[in-house]
Amino acid sequence: MNRKWLVLLLMIGTTFTSGCWDKKELNEIAIVSAMGIDKDKEGKLVGTFQIINPGNVAGSLQGGGGTNPAISVYRATGNNVLGLDSIASTKISRDMYFAHANLIVIGEEIAKEEGINAIFDAFERSPEFRATSRIVIARGVKARDIVETLTAIDKVSAEKVIRTIESSEKQQGRSISVNLQEVIKNLVSTGKEPIISGFTVKGNTDKEDKMENTQTSDIEANPTTAGIGVFKDGKLIDWLDGNKAIGSMWVLDRIAHTNLNIDWNDKKDAITYQVQRQKTNVAAKMKNGKPKMLIKVLVEGDIREANIPVNLNSPHVLIDIEKRLAKDLKKEMEDAIVRAQKNKSDIFGFGEIMHESHPKEWKKIEKDWDDVSFPKLEVDVQVETFIRRTGLRNKPYLSNLKKSDQ
Amino acid sequence: MVSFFKNKGQMKKREKQKIDDKDQSKSKKLEYIDSSISANLDHMKKKTGNSPDIIVRTLKISQNPEIKTTILYVQGLIDNPSVTDFLIESIMKNPHLKEKLLPKEALDVISEEVVSLGGVESVTDWEKLFLSLLSGDSIIFVDGINKALVASTRGGERRSIQEPSTHLTVRGSREGFTESNATNIAMLRRIINSQDLWIESMKIGTVTKTDVSIMYINGIAKEGIVEEVKKRLKGINIDSILESGYIEQLIEDQVMTPFPTLNHTERPDMVAGNLLEGRVAIFVNGSPFVLVAPALFVQFFQSVEDYYNRFDIASATRFLRIIVFIISIVGPAVYVAATTFHQEMIPSKLLVIVAAQRETVPLPAVVEALVMEITFEILREASLRMPKVVGSTMSIVGALVIGQAAVQAGAVSPAMVIIVSITAIASFATPSYSIAISARIVRFGFIICAGVLGFYGMILAFIVLIVHLCSLRSFGVPYMSPLAPLNPEGLGDTFFRRPMWAFKERPKLLSSNNNLIREGDNQRPLPPESRGMKTSDKKKGEGNES
Repeated sequence: MNRKWLVLLLMIGTTFTSGCWDKKELNEIAIVSAMGIDKDKEGKLVGTFQIINPGNVAGSLQGGGGTNPAISVYRATGNNVLGLDSIASTKISRDMYFAHANLIVIGEEIAKEEGINAIFDAFERSPEFRATSRIVIARGVKARDIVETLTAIDKVSAEKVIRTIESSEKQQGRSISVNLQEVIKNLVSTGKEPIISGFTVKGNTDKEDKMENTQTSDIEANPTTAGIGVFKDGKLIDWLDGNKAIGSMWVLDRIAHTNLNIDWNDKKDAITYQVQRQKTNVAAKMKNGKPKMLIKVLVEGDIREANIPVNLNSPHVLIDIEKRLAKDLKKEMEDAIVRAQKNKSDIFGFGEIMHESHPKEWKKIEKDWDDVSFPKLEVDVQVETFIRRTGLRNKPYLSNLKKSDQ
Repeated sequence: MVSFFKNKGQMKKREKQKIDDKDQSKSKKLEYIDSSISANLDHMKKKTGNSPDIIVRTLKISQNPEIKTTILYVQGLIDNPSVTDFLIESIMKNPHLKEKLLPKEALDVISEEVVSLGGVESVTDWEKLFLSLLSGDSIIFVDGINKALVASTRGGERRSIQEPSTHLTVRGSREGFTESNATNIAMLRRIINSQDLWIESMKIGTVTKTDVSIMYINGIAKEGIVEEVKKRLKGINIDSILESGYIEQLIEDQVMTPFPTLNHTERPDMVAGNLLEGRVAIFVNGSPFVLVAPALFVQFFQSVEDYYNRFDIASATRFLRIIVFIISIVGPAVYVAATTFHQEMIPSKLLVIVAAQRETVPLPAVVEALVMEITFEILREASLRMPKVVGSTMSIVGALVIGQAAVQAGAVSPAMVIIVSITAIASFATPSYSIAISARIVRFGFIICAGVLGFYGMILAFIVLIVHLCSLRSFGVPYMSPLAPLNPEGLGDTFFRRPMWAFKERPKLLSSNNNLIREGDNQRPLPPESRGMKTSDKKKGEGNES
């Protein structure tokens, strides 16, 4: 009996004397919300860490939100990513905690000159870092500028950047929200190249890290989305803006909502069509020993604006509009594909689709897919649009104006 | 059975030793009643220390010679009208007793022709006489006879039947048990009108001689379990039984466990339901809490109302109770583990809020949790024990000190207050008070494990808890059944309750296996097959469609 108790006591003892293992109290850690990576003149990495000041985030108890910045920024220079962390720790009183670092900003210089291939290993290897951290490229500014900027509604600017990209992707299709995992997957894939959203700070960039930046209703320095960056072999080679970006997103099947404008009776952008639902199917085919891509898009949406008197009651008119929409959309997508082929960067993942459907043929062309096969690839785009509703009314009220003699 | 008598003999021996220390007779011999009244009364006064509540009323009956008769009873224990109207008045006014009688006949005449009371019997030894007298019966001595008559006149002031204060329900009987065994047993008789409702009584407690009755339904209860209950009750040798809690602690299977292995209730309908599942009820005089054995883990999450409500609602509330129980065990532990070990699990925004609150808190989260939990336990204990008049003062102090001041001073984080409050409410939402207390003790263990090893420690503690629960038995029935060992039939009355029309069988481990069927086939209510007009309408419609 005594022996039994002794064993039990020892078991409990070993458990509890192990100490509090990897215990970290919340007020002993510095929550990193974003990290920016730049390059200095000597070619060293400059890391910028955005750390949340929990007490200053609005809504917390002390009511400090508003007067003091919600974030603090620390900078460190080093030769590799982990080096940055250890150097930054000489300046911060607390352990940096990366599990909530949801944003990684990469400077345009690094992306263009050195490429992003070498950066991500430390992020992927660390147990703290999340594979779902979003990645953006600082376009035209340093990564630190984006990380430092104080923003108004979302106090933590990392949050603001992520949300802006997400809403831009959802509402317009002008940006793409990609995370660490996707970027690494696309970097190693032979059949797909990564694309990463660009971000920039517009306005008075001297003041972006001052509290007064957020104290006006018209914020002086505001981070905004800026196109989509195209990569080839890990290096940034091109920026896609406006319709090119949207066209690429159509091919990638990542459009949720977007507006399509068509001209009508010589009036530019007279009718606006809002996409509600869409599905893009991409298939690969072998034709005469050469690969051919078939893209089929089904779009469903509403008419949301008609600035001219047009009889939307008539099915013929609607069919006409549908056809024109399809034509415009087809052109938009084809333009985007042509641009990608010119860049020799298969951002659409056509190669992966080939790999899945024709693995044997893929083996042969895999090696020089980006440089030889992809730029010459024949792509057939078919678009089918459908007008589900015309909003809350049929004929625009313009038709009823006395002046118009319709 | 032989051993039982032996035990009882020993009990009596000790009892005597206590009562008359100086009495030289240490033998088991019974003392018999003397034929002389005065000798009897002297003996009586000596034995009871001349207690004034024992009333002695002397009457004279018969003529030539007159025979002295004495009536004895204990004030307050008797039913006054019975004694005055049916005992004293009958004896004084009965014409039979006016005639000439021999002392020998007198007692028989009194018992057979005079006393108009339900229970009358004659006793010869003091042992039985005292037991009856002190239970509220009246004793009649007749001079010259070495026997006494015991007339059943038990009564006196008792609490009337009231609504039970625990196990409250919206729907269901409003009756609760009282302190009187006779009343309680009668309540059960009223619910179960069957000759198979068997009751056995015994006296437990060498000094208190408390009435303890066991009740079961013959044919439904498993014989093994009934025998086990009887065996354990008979094995009890203690001076006093003041509440059913005494019995519970003396007959439970496993002592070193925070979990109750006997259930207790104030509700007759709950006892009836349990009897019908083959359980055994133990009534203890003086306690409104009736013990029910064996008790299983899942039983503590069942309320009688589950069976009165429709099955979907009952199942939903059952499920809620399980969740509530888990919250009340692991609530603060999860908070401690998540905020000190697994910050990555908390959504970023929530983490920032919690971190902001914890900025000023000087204590580690685990200490904070323990301090708050102990504070809550103090508040709870204080509000239970203190006089009701100062109740409002306490709640103000509690709410202000803990809810406001501690948070404003930055000594405690508001998140912790929220967690502790939710846990507190959760522990009160568990239907059985006894399992809620267990949860409170187990909770502290979980907090410490979470503080030392995070979720890993909590999982270890959880494994220990599950293994412990599975090792428990209640009167030989596995505590976790029908979950472990798994009995698919029995699962219909655990986390959810199957519809009443599908309750085909009684629980196998509790009930006698010869008598498991509790309802006939096809009990599911169905609408009438013919719907008159509607059927023809439907046919017409179908015709049109085709």
